[in-house]
Amino acid sequence: MAAQNRRDFLKTMGIIGVTAAGFSTSTTKAQEKFKLSEDRIGVLVDTTVCIGCRNCEWACKKVHDLPAGSLEEYNDRSVFENKRRPDEHALTVVNEFENPDNVLLPVDVKVQCMHCEEPACVSACIVNAYTKHPEGPVTWDSDKCIGCRYCMVACPWQIPAFEYDKAIQPNIMKCDFCYDRQQEGKLPACVEICPEEALIFGKRRDLIEIARQKIKREPDRYVDHILGENEVGGTSWLYLAGQNFSKLDFPKLGTDPAPGVTEKIQHGIFAYFIPPISLYALLGGIMWINRGKSKSKEV
Amino acid sequence: MEYYMNPAPVKKVKFLTRGVMILILLVINAFVFLAIRFFGGLGAMTNLDNQHPWGIWIAIDVACGVALAAGGFTSAALGHIIHKEEYKVILRPALLTAMLGYTFVALGVFVDLGRYYFIWHPLIYWNGSSPLFEVGICVMTYVTVLYIEFIPIVTERFIGKVNLKGIFASLNKMIDSLLRFLDRGLAKTMFIFIIAGIVLSTLHQSSLGTLMVIAGPKMHPLWQTPILPLLFLLSAIAVGFPMIIFESLIAARSLGLKPEMKVLSGLGRMMGPMLGIYFAFKLGDMLIRGTFVYLTEVNTQSIMFVIEVVVGVIIPMRMFFSEKVLNSRLWLFVASALTVLGVFLNRINNFLVAYSPPYAFKSYFPSVGEISVTVGFIALLVLLYRVIVMNFPVISLPDKKKLPMVKYAIKGGEQ
Amino acid sequence: MKITLKILFVILLSAASVFPQQKKNTKHSMLNIDCKTCHACQYPTTDDPCLKSCPRLKMVTVYRSPDEAPAITVLNELENKYEPVVFPHRLHAQMSEISGGCITCHHYNTLGPVLPCKRCHSTERKREDVSKPDLMGAYHQQCLTCHRQWSHKTECVSCHKPKVKGKKLNIEQKILSYKQKKHPQIKEPTRIIFETEYKKGKIVTFYHNEHTKLFGLKCVNCHKEENCLRCHDVKNASNQNPAYYDTPVKIHLPKDQHHKICMKCHRENNCSFCHKNKVSETFDHGLRTGWKLNRFHKDLSCKQCHKHGNRFVKRPTACNSCHPDWKPGTFDHKITGLILDDNHSDIDCEDCHIDRDFSKKPTCNNCHDDKSFPKDKPGKED
Repeated sequence: MAAQNRRDFLKTMGIIGVTAAGFSTSTTKAQEKFKLSEDRIGVLVDTTVCIGCRNCEWACKKVHDLPAGSLEEYNDRSVFENKRRPDEHALTVVNEFENPDNVLLPVDVKVQCMHCEEPACVSACIVNAYTKHPEGPVTWDSDKCIGCRYCMVACPWQIPAFEYDKAIQPNIMKCDFCYDRQQEGKLPACVEICPEEALIFGKRRDLIEIARQKIKREPDRYVDHILGENEVGGTSWLYLAGQNFSKLDFPKLGTDPAPGVTEKIQHGIFAYFIPPISLYALLGGIMWINRGKSKSKEV
Repeated sequence: MEYYMNPAPVKKVKFLTRGVMILILLVINAFVFLAIRFFGGLGAMTNLDNQHPWGIWIAIDVACGVALAAGGFTSAALGHIIHKEEYKVILRPALLTAMLGYTFVALGVFVDLGRYYFIWHPLIYWNGSSPLFEVGICVMTYVTVLYIEFIPIVTERFIGKVNLKGIFASLNKMIDSLLRFLDRGLAKTMFIFIIAGIVLSTLHQSSLGTLMVIAGPKMHPLWQTPILPLLFLLSAIAVGFPMIIFESLIAARSLGLKPEMKVLSGLGRMMGPMLGIYFAFKLGDMLIRGTFVYLTEVNTQSIMFVIEVVVGVIIPMRMFFSEKVLNSRLWLFVASALTVLGVFLNRINNFLVAYSPPYAFKSYFPSVGEISVTVGFIALLVLLYRVIVMNFPVISLPDKKKLPMVKYAIKGGEQ
Repeated sequence: MKITLKILFVILLSAASVFPQQKKNTKHSMLNIDCKTCHACQYPTTDDPCLKSCPRLKMVTVYRSPDEAPAITVLNELENKYEPVVFPHRLHAQMSEISGGCITCHHYNTLGPVLPCKRCHSTERKREDVSKPDLMGAYHQQCLTCHRQWSHKTECVSCHKPKVKGKKLNIEQKILSYKQKKHPQIKEPTRIIFETEYKKGKIVTFYHNEHTKLFGLKCVNCHKEENCLRCHDVKNASNQNPAYYDTPVKIHLPKDQHHKICMKCHRENNCSFCHKNKVSETFDHGLRTGWKLNRFHKDLSCKQCHKHGNRFVKRPTACNSCHPDWKPGTFDHKITGLILDDNHSDIDCEDCHIDRDFSKKPTCNNCHDDKSFPKDKPGKED
């Protein structure tokens, strides 16, 4: 009886070991997808240039098949009385802030997904519904999503929104950097419509260089900080401003990638499945020893 | 020492009491709200919004559900791995609680998921870096393991007693042989599932803590720490036995049985050191990260933290060290209840109180619907527990007959 | 024949070497500008000026008189949805005289001709080099930075007429209407009372009309970085309120900027010259300098005596320091409006004008006990 059990035990261990090996290869594959292109794109938002015309809001809705209304409706500046956030009805919004240096030139700040270099949503998503493309954009796949909303918990910029009013197939809504348009060789809708070119579309490394030049050239105009250059490991969207970013409602974030600690823990626990298997073996061992004791006692 | 094991269906009590009626009403109430949720979407009846994506369905149904069902794996470790024979009497009730608890977790997740019909997606779309994926897979597997562990109780109840009427009568023999086959098969392989159950529990109890680590600065520093997974695991281990004590005492009272005070105070004796370890880590973490400075501010977070630690950890810890408490049915109950409350608060704090997202237009408080559904699920849980203990051999009744020891407690006392 | 060839060769050679170096270039190389501001290489030539790409770190000053500027430019590079914008260029050039100059818009210009925007700004939004905005962005950044400050509007139609099918905008008519347009006369304040933070003298009274009319200052002398919004901000109530100038106003610029403007002329280190505890009176030559202006001098502009630019240096008070031909014997007293009678025409000036101080009224009691000026006059008025 005892021998029989020991054989079963070893057999099972073997099977689990093989499955674990298969699992661990698939986890290493997941890490490879974070290889980013050297030429990855981004957008530099110069908040000192933005005039708050909100044309980008309209263009974004048009392109994403959201009810947009007419462009003229966006001339209404009373919306600036409240601070708004991107949500399931608008993937980007512009907020207006007072300018301490010149009350007549308020600061307008467009908000949308920052398209992090190491996105928390991609790391957190239970079913891999998010993709960080080597070109920069972070997109979401409706076919996989189960609507758990963990991405919304994880996002350090508080961007993904959820269609709470939909009973069936509610979507996670966030800026997709017009990935489809970019594949067709077009610009993101907001960049294309911006009358001021406050949204500068280009390669991320060029944009950082341009931003540095701007700061150097006009040190009175800009604070010496490119938001998104290093925040949470860097983002595709970068911001310049004339005042501290915390005054423009940006969260104060460190330079560590948002998923860093979590992934360290996860990969620690699951380092090639060694810790769980060891625990299994250990428990098995203890059980085996104790079992023998009680058996002899029983007999 | 002479211990006996004779789990049997509790037959003496009437099923429909006034309390049971109330529970049934609560369940019906929950289903009314669930209808709204499934026809109108989550927004129709919850207070969730884009700033607060997770509410009590995750904090209570899932996080607390998982933590409070920890009795299943701690008792299994005690009874099967360390092989303390004297505690085998609690194994079946603990298993049942765990099984129902995890079912409750699954139900909670199911209603909370925006696309509940895709709940199986994690099985095919894997993301190794997601702690939620790990929790999901572990919980799914563990629920299966728990059900498998429960099968012997079913086989014990029905082997030789399958007696379907009418046209199904012809199936009786087949079902009976199936049950016998299962019983035999499981007898040999049960240890695999028992160990797997413990490993899976360790993994997902801790990963449940990892869940909130990624929220980073959105979480109050009193709770946000890289050792959250360890704290979650330690607190889960610590709450396992108090939960068993808590529920044994309630069940005993409700079902009119005499509680196994010897066993329960034995469990209670282990609690002091266990809570001590948990408290030491929590305190050490606070000292190392210097987060005690936040205790000087008086706000919801700091008050909740103090309540959680003082009422939920320090007081019960002190109580469990006292012989008087361990031997008193009432005080043991109080100490256990406080520990359970402490962990319950800890999970709520971690998932709701500590979570203060930027840009929140309003703070989150659960809606009537959310509370109704959670309460209704708990009521359903209690009802199912009652139904099962009254029909299956789960609770050991004080029996004059002494029965020989069994191979596995899980297999039951049948020979 | 050989000689002619030689001469031709020399001419060609000199032409080749001289021609590329146009006059302007040699001129601007003499200016006090670091060549590296614009040129990337050591020896730029006309063929290869090796200009640094814009936007450069520094700008060079470009000044052209508004009269040289084109009156109207029609911006029609980007017409697909809207009619072209008729831009009254000269009007803006004139306004720029008191606010930053040409450089406000024509940034990073070379010292040569003023370049049109599209010379540097691409018409393509999708392009390789995004270091400077595309043309649409450039235009809008220039116009809206000012225009939205007073209109507080960002509607497209405030500048662009939407295209209507089958109807064409009459550009000629539009141009004509702009050509006639002039900035309306600016209402000049007479007096501005500034309330300062200087404790010993809070009030500074500034007589604006004196500075322009009496002291002959031009707007640009003081108003250099002026913002159109000083008047054009419709949201600013003070722009609608004429009482603005007579109630004390808080200083609107940083202290040192205010001082900079005034102290270009007022170089005294004397704070109390401007800072008083109460509103001061208009400028009084007698009170300020102790030399009261008589009725002849009163009507003169300051510059007629104080000829040295904007500085009002103390002039000698003797008449012949300004009137060199006024000498005893030749002076015709008639010029003062009083023809001396025969009794007085031959006496010494000092007999009546004590100490030859002609600013004081003459004394009669040196000779006459019972007479006094101006009741009694030594002659007859002209």
